[in-house]
Amino acid sequence: MLHVTAAFFLVGGSVAAGILNALAIRAARPSETAYLLRLVRITLPVIGVGVAGTLIFGIWLWHELHFSIGAFWIWASLVLWVATSALGGIGGKHQERARKLAEQLAAAGDATSAELRTLLRDRKGNAMSWLAGAATLGILVLMIWKPGS
Amino acid sequence: MIAFSRPFWPLFLHVLGAMTLFGAVLTAVITSTVAWRRPDVPILHKATFWALVSGVPDYVVFRIAAQFIYSDEKDVYAGRNWIGIGFFVSDGGLLIFLAAIGCAYWWMRSGTPSAGRIVAGLSSVYLVLLALGWLAMSGKWG
Repeated sequence: MLHVTAAFFLVGGSVAAGILNALAIRAARPSETAYLLRLVRITLPVIGVGVAGTLIFGIWLWHELHFSIGAFWIWASLVLWVATSALGGIGGKHQERARKLAEQLAAAGDATSAELRTLLRDRKGNAMSWLAGAATLGILVLMIWKPGS
Repeated sequence: MIAFSRPFWPLFLHVLGAMTLFGAVLTAVITSTVAWRRPDVPILHKATFWALVSGVPDYVVFRIAAQFIYSDEKDVYAGRNWIGIGFFVSDGGLLIFLAAIGCAYWWMRSGTPSAGRIVAGLSSVYLVLLALGWLAMSGKWG
């Protein structure tokens, strides 16, 4: 129950951050973009509890339910868990850069610029967040499928 | 045994739909609660409405997959408390979810602060119901 709760926090918090980011990209004015990107920070404790909880309660369940120490699906999930955390962190830094630029533009007349548009739609920066989401989805697939179990 | 032998897709879609629905409602709770103190930021009205609307396909996937699993396994699980709580959250909660979307639309169009407060209240109640649902289902209460 606690492991599932942590998973809800991880996926739900990530979805909330993704929705706010998507709305920030589509916002008309830099002040709106900055406001929505600032709200992403509220989701970070939720994601943090999810990240820590899935690992702690997951390892506890591994021991408690007597799954094999060499279980492929658990090791693969751990690799994806590390990937999710790393990619999410890189994606978050990209969003922080966009937020800072949006705040500067908002303070200087609130007119959008080509630089902000480029930063918000930067494929490499956004790809990190999408890949983190894909890795989280991969963990969910492995947790429900349990291949070889 | 059933948990290990049931088909992958219905359970995967049920859980994924529930988790993404939680994320959509969480977004609405954040934006509408922040707007309570800052009613002068119209982007929050729009963000709340679209966050809730993005939860509609999540709800559909989550609910259809739940019914699929229940149809397959009702002989085993019918009458259990946690199944009852699940139905209460999904079907009873739908009314609250739809009311929140309706009020969010009213808020987006009118900018009335009281509409935003109603959305914040309804979204928060629905978020708590979703948490109750996943705790009951995963903990197999009763």
